[in-house]
Amino acid sequence: MSGAANPVQPLCPCEGEDPDKLAEFEQRITDGVHIEPGDWMPEAYRMGMLGMAEHHANSEIIGALPEGEWITRAPSLRRKLALTAKVQDEVGHGQMLYRVSQELGKSRDDMLRDLITGKTKYHNCFNYPAPTWGDIAMIQWLIDGAAIMNQKTLADGAYGPYVRTMNRINMEEAFHFKSGEDMVLTLMSGTRKQKKMTQEAFDRWWSVSLMFFGPHDKPDAEQRPAMRWRMKIERNDSLRQRFVNRFAPAAKDLGFTINVCEKDDRGFVTSVREDEQCVLDTDTGNWGFTDPDWNEFFRVIRGNGPCNAHRLDLRRFSYEQGRWVRNAIAKGGTTTPPAA
Amino acid sequence: MSKRRQQTYEFADELPTGKPDDTHWVVYTRKKRDGPARWAGYLDAVDVELAMQYAREHYGLDEACTGILIHPHDALHDCEYGIDPIEGGDATGDDGESWIVFTQRRRGMIHIEAGVVRAPDADTALARARAIHADGRITNIRVVRTADCTEVHPDDVPLWRDHDMTYKFARGYSKGVRSKWSNFRSDEDLERYRRGDIKEHF
Repeated sequence: MSGAANPVQPLCPCEGEDPDKLAEFEQRITDGVHIEPGDWMPEAYRMGMLGMAEHHANSEIIGALPEGEWITRAPSLRRKLALTAKVQDEVGHGQMLYRVSQELGKSRDDMLRDLITGKTKYHNCFNYPAPTWGDIAMIQWLIDGAAIMNQKTLADGAYGPYVRTMNRINMEEAFHFKSGEDMVLTLMSGTRKQKKMTQEAFDRWWSVSLMFFGPHDKPDAEQRPAMRWRMKIERNDSLRQRFVNRFAPAAKDLGFTINVCEKDDRGFVTSVREDEQCVLDTDTGNWGFTDPDWNEFFRVIRGNGPCNAHRLDLRRFSYEQGRWVRNAIAKGGTTTPPAA
Repeated sequence: MSKRRQQTYEFADELPTGKPDDTHWVVYTRKKRDGPARWAGYLDAVDVELAMQYAREHYGLDEACTGILIHPHDALHDCEYGIDPIEGGDATGDDGESWIVFTQRRRGMIHIEAGVVRAPDADTALARARAIHADGRITNIRVVRTADCTEVHPDDVPLWRDHDMTYKFARGYSKGVRSKWSNFRSDEDLERYRRGDIKEHF
């Protein structure tokens, strides 16, 4: 998957920038010309793109963790191969996006340090538990589906290196999504127990998917630098609506009930009620939905989600476990792996 | 999750120190044996051997790939990215070292191998490449000294699959997904949904 990043960070206006250069830059953006690394760009644009690419890269790396834990427990050899390939893809995406960020002025070591110490963030959706194979199916179907929708628009952005990388990543995301769709179809064609497990996983991930696109847009979103400079090109709310229009009818056809759920601190559902708003409005062609709990969204962003500490611990664990390999490769040292 | 994994680690001296990055490498792949090398991505590695190993693992398995070419990022020389397509010059000559030429059709697109020129230095190589390849339809030219490029083919090392790897392509699921959907949706609905996939997402 990937946590396609919708930067929420404020971008300061272009104080102190050369007005002629700024005007030329903005004209290029208006004309649909891509910005390449050697081009002049306002500092706020560079910082904004760096934040976006770094956040995205962090999300790819952390996003591989919940799925990686399921490789050994995949239900068949083919699923195990696919999941292994997917996890490898995600880490590869992180690697490519860190490179885009490096070109914008931050070293990879700095980015890895900031991730491990919690200074920089990754996508909210990875702070939720994945207790069953059904959750893995939901991550691939709903979260990767949402990621493709978001990233397809990001590939129409203005920064050339990010666009090129996004096009390549999207090709692989298509496999992740299709694999997830196949898993969901298989489970929902299965036994009563499998269907129950999948519905429970759906309940855990539906609202997380709605939050995936970020909070509601500010009224002047198009005038703010992120959209004005085509770092992102579509509003969070319109992406969310497109997602619901695609996935709500698919879920209902598959036999899912779309519920509004309350969750405990561990991310597990404690109560459900059917979402009565989730019906097709024939006038607009849009499916309705109940807004996710935005208090929960901001609580998780601030580091108080069900799995925030766990994910960072695991990332630190991986960093520690890989140190002897890095030493051996980078410094030619002969060290041994830590005792199991 | 084992208890060992639940341990919280403290990183006083072991955190990344912010040292300079390893060498950046640029990776190109060939889809067909006689086809041009196309930009695939980047990687960081301390030396060429490790860089090629990473490139094979990361880029050699993702799509059709019959060859991988890598070079250090520092070895590339780009002309200025044009807003409008760049026009050819009149530089001539074929003395000096060999340089591989890559061109970019439009800003935001990838660089694709276009040929080879000979020149004593990078500026001359760019000028000569421009004279040959800038046909008013490209926005950037890149040259890299052939000696700085490292390439492998399947004859040298295994690059591509020797077993069924359809599990890692979207198309590997098309038939199964379609057949499973048919248990839930009519043919007409299914066709509309599938068209949406292609048109809007993939």
